[in-house]
Amino acid sequence: MNTPPAGSAPTREQQLVRAFVDMADTLVDDYDVVDLLHRLAGYCVSLLGATAAGLLLSDQRGSLHVVAASDERTRLLELLQLQADQGPCLDAYRTGVPVHTDDLAVERNRWPVFAPEALAEGYRSVQAIPLRLRRQVIGALNLFGRDATLLGQENLEIARALADTATVGILQERAIRHGEVLTEQLQTALTSRVIIEQAKGVLFHAGGIPMDQAFERLRSYCRSHNLQLSVIAEDLARGTRDPRTILTRE
Amino acid sequence: MTKPEDVADSVPHLLSAVLASLRDGDNGLNPLIRVCQACVSLLPVDGASISVMLGTQHRQSLYASDAVAEHLEEAQFSLGEGPCFEAFDTGRPVLVPDLVQRANHTWPVFAAQISAEQVGAIFAFPLRRGAARFGAMDMYRRTPGWLSPAELATALQIVDIATSALLAVSATGPEGEIREDWLTELVRDRTVVHQATGIVVAEFAIPAEQALARLRGYVFVTGRQIQGVAEDLVTGRLHPRVIDE
Repeated sequence: MNTPPAGSAPTREQQLVRAFVDMADTLVDDYDVVDLLHRLAGYCVSLLGATAAGLLLSDQRGSLHVVAASDERTRLLELLQLQADQGPCLDAYRTGVPVHTDDLAVERNRWPVFAPEALAEGYRSVQAIPLRLRRQVIGALNLFGRDATLLGQENLEIARALADTATVGILQERAIRHGEVLTEQLQTALTSRVIIEQAKGVLFHAGGIPMDQAFERLRSYCRSHNLQLSVIAEDLARGTRDPRTILTRE
Repeated sequence: MTKPEDVADSVPHLLSAVLASLRDGDNGLNPLIRVCQACVSLLPVDGASISVMLGTQHRQSLYASDAVAEHLEEAQFSLGEGPCFEAFDTGRPVLVPDLVQRANHTWPVFAAQISAEQVGAIFAFPLRRGAARFGAMDMYRRTPGWLSPAELATALQIVDIATSALLAVSATGPEGEIREDWLTELVRDRTVVHQATGIVVAEFAIPAEQALARLRGYVFVTGRQIQGVAEDLVTGRLHPRVIDE
């Protein structure tokens, strides 16, 4: 493989390889489902050209929760799909097959609540990919685009492959290492989502920063210090870590 | 008085039975008793117990469905080790399908203490809301064996209801009354409530379980909905300093 000279930016190919390694890297000790899914949403935006991305994950009751989104407004759009009980992400989850539309304007009948809201956010096209391994569907990935054609065939295939890689990792990891079952694994993911919301509240109030910035601060702090997101979030929410350690920029 | 078998057929029935016994309000333990009974009727387990913990030092057994479950709790509490402590400490379920095999090297003293009891498997679950931890729920069965994925899903739903019931009975009004919406809220997306809990954590430098208790106390005293109070905190319409004890 060609390695670029030190200091130059990684090529797209290298970035993609890294993304796949990252999505497959669920056997490490500090593996964190919520963080993994946030990174998946991030890659869809930074590498594949989606305008925004959001992820839904099912719990043990079979109801869906928003676990990751590339930004706060997209999180609200995902929530809207859940509340209105309609939208591409739900369709993809229920049918287990990808759902896409190039033009939300013609889908007002199909999704009367979701389509107008997504259009109002400036999105024109949507692609929803089920997180699925064989017959088991655990959630769905939603990609939003400002233009009529979203991603293109090649990027779309990469997005599906990244989602598949992450899904296989999520489904296999606990089974292999701890003999635990999927329901418990998903429950843990959803618990850590709750913890992250609590930690966001801590940083929001302690730092006087907006809620979505609170999450970004937390994530970049954990990344730059090589710490596990859910652990630091829990320390914050339990009051055992001073929020200033995260809020102070070094 | 509803008979135990009325809660036996499904989780939604359990939820309504717990709501009904919360409304009765005659004995704060009744909702928790129902939850433990439901474990025995809905799952292949022979007994269940619920305990509250505030750190590992302060713990109290609230209810055990039979003498074996009671003994399991007592042994763990007096020794300070065992599956329910591990579930509370790690915040994750501790599933022990073969107790004899596992306990001998993981909790040797506990294993020795309960060797006279016929216990094949223990499933211990933390009672928690995110970072807020309140206690643990233990289920045991006489013979070894796993819970199937469907049974585990049911167990997790029961544990959710137990958490809500525990929160409801621990934050009552001046007359011991309980607000019904505190149980029903559990089916909704409560992102804003989680964020508001964090705000109260930051304001008073207290752990999440205390923050949630204060928040619920404030909600009770003011007669408002928790969702509305949480929204006011998150949008800055309400300063958390008013959420005092």
